Amino acid sequence: MSVDVKRLGVCINGKPIVRDIDLHISDGERVGLIGSSGSGKSMISKALLGLLPTNAQVSGSAMVGGIQVVEASEPVLASLRGRYVGTVFQNPASSLNPVLSVGKQIELPLKLHYDLDKVDRQARVARMLEKVGLDATIAKKYPSELSGGQQQRVGIATALITSPRLIIADEPTTALDSITQRRIVDLLVELVDKAGASMLFITHDFSVLSCATTRCYVLECGQIADSGQTAALLADPQANSTRKLVDAAHELTLQRK
Amino acid sequence: MMMRNDSHNRAEEYQTGTDLSDMRQGAVSSVERSANQPSKRAAKDRENVALGRGFAVVLRLIWKRGEGKFALTVMTSWVAISLISLFWTPQSLWKTDGYQVWAKPSATQWLGTDGIGADVFSWLMAGARTDLFIAVASVIFAGILGVLLISIMVSRNSALSNGSVVAVDALISIPTILIALILAVPMGASVMVVVLACGIGYGLNLARVARPEALLAANSDYVGSALSYGASGFSVMLHHILPNVMPTVMVQLSLSAGTAVLAESGLTYLGIGVPSGVPSWGHSLATSVKLIDVYPLSALWPGLIVTIVAVALNIFGDVLRDTTDPSSNPELRRS
Repeated sequence: MSVDVKRLGVCINGKPIVRDIDLHISDGERVGLIGSSGSGKSMISKALLGLLPTNAQVSGSAMVGGIQVVEASEPVLASLRGRYVGTVFQNPASSLNPVLSVGKQIELPLKLHYDLDKVDRQARVARMLEKVGLDATIAKKYPSELSGGQQQRVGIATALITSPRLIIADEPTTALDSITQRRIVDLLVELVDKAGASMLFITHDFSVLSCATTRCYVLECGQIADSGQTAALLADPQANSTRKLVDAAHELTLQRK
Repeated sequence: MMMRNDSHNRAEEYQTGTDLSDMRQGAVSSVERSANQPSKRAAKDRENVALGRGFAVVLRLIWKRGEGKFALTVMTSWVAISLISLFWTPQSLWKTDGYQVWAKPSATQWLGTDGIGADVFSWLMAGARTDLFIAVASVIFAGILGVLLISIMVSRNSALSNGSVVAVDALISIPTILIALILAVPMGASVMVVVLACGIGYGLNLARVARPEALLAANSDYVGSALSYGASGFSVMLHHILPNVMPTVMVQLSLSAGTAVLAESGLTYLGIGVPSGVPSWGHSLATSVKLIDVYPLSALWPGLIVTIVAVALNIFGDVLRDTTDPSSNPELRRS
């Protein structure tokens, strides 16, 4: 599903958080959105889902699969969320309900968007768990019984169970260790490509971005500072903020030039 | 919707053999539906079995604890005695004897007689059913009111949530007894006055006590995640907020049941609770307490029963919270 954002701006209580955002994701493309903390990355993902806080004012346009989410009504947005747009969150431990078994949580979006009976739903949950590399018996467990990596796999399963056409991954690896990070990114890329879906991968870490995306946008202080092929940006950063982020990535992964 | 055509055909199936997009809500034909009936029923049966097993596990966990045994014993005896009293009491409730007032316990009158010579034991037995009804009805009423108020208080509409918080805070300052007095004006002394007064009072209380936890759940990441996959406010409340405030709600309602029994005694003593002629523990207490200096034993029995039941209900609430928490009870997770 394609995304076309034109001159998008979000103000909260009159204070601009992001402005003049131009962003395009083609069908089946994996695009990154990178920026340091507080640069407004999550605000953009919230705007795409129509889930901005009530005191936010939005300007510009954001087309998600042919729907203008800036002006869309709540029922239209509700059918878009989950059904066509799946979201993977930053902190898997807190984005899973502690008192609901894992299987039930993965099943909920399916229950909301499809008319399937319980047996069918549970079978799909079991197959989805297998796809994200988890044992089907994990469905009976509670989030507190799983490791961080397993929890994020559950998060991915919850986002993908409805076969969405766009995945918004909002810093999905930030809360994980570096080995698990790599595995989660690979899994996400594999599943998204297999499904032919598009992905918006939000992160502050270039080293993660290089294996997850082909093209990316660099966000600084609420504005797009740089954009281009991920590999090109990584090899020869032009803008100041891009250079800082690339340097940080090199330092972190101990591959100094 | 434009999106439906959006590259669906070129999507490789990673879900199952069938394309989910053809099975959107309402798209399953009735033929498929009826073909699915037996498996649906089997699933329902399995669910019921699992539910029953969960219930049995909780009961067993409660019974394992000393205080749980006490609470369960008192509560089951209460229910059993209430049921028995409908068909049998040692003496007829309406048998009075002017020559046998304030009699000491004997073989025929196990706990003696009261001021009009009626059998105290029989009246206490019959009182059990009235108090049971009051406790259960108040808890149901308070539970419904409390949960409704909690939903409004954590609603995303800030005018609604702020308004309801102020309203609940204002209403909570009205004592239960005043609510009962006001209700008694049009209704007179009746069981329903006690039920309504307790239900309103404890419902408000429940909402106030559970609000912080509900708010915490409402602002949590998992609710954010649920909203992002298109869950409605109702679904969020049902699947995410309520299960997370359930422990508090259970303890609070259990306490309310105990307090309702106490309130019945108090309100009946004041003359606005259970009307005279209807057996209740408050009634027994009210009739015997007048001569407590002379016949202290007669006031002891109803007082003792009310206390034991209230204590048992309070303990039950605490034990129930501990035993229904899946994270500290691995047995529950297997069911």
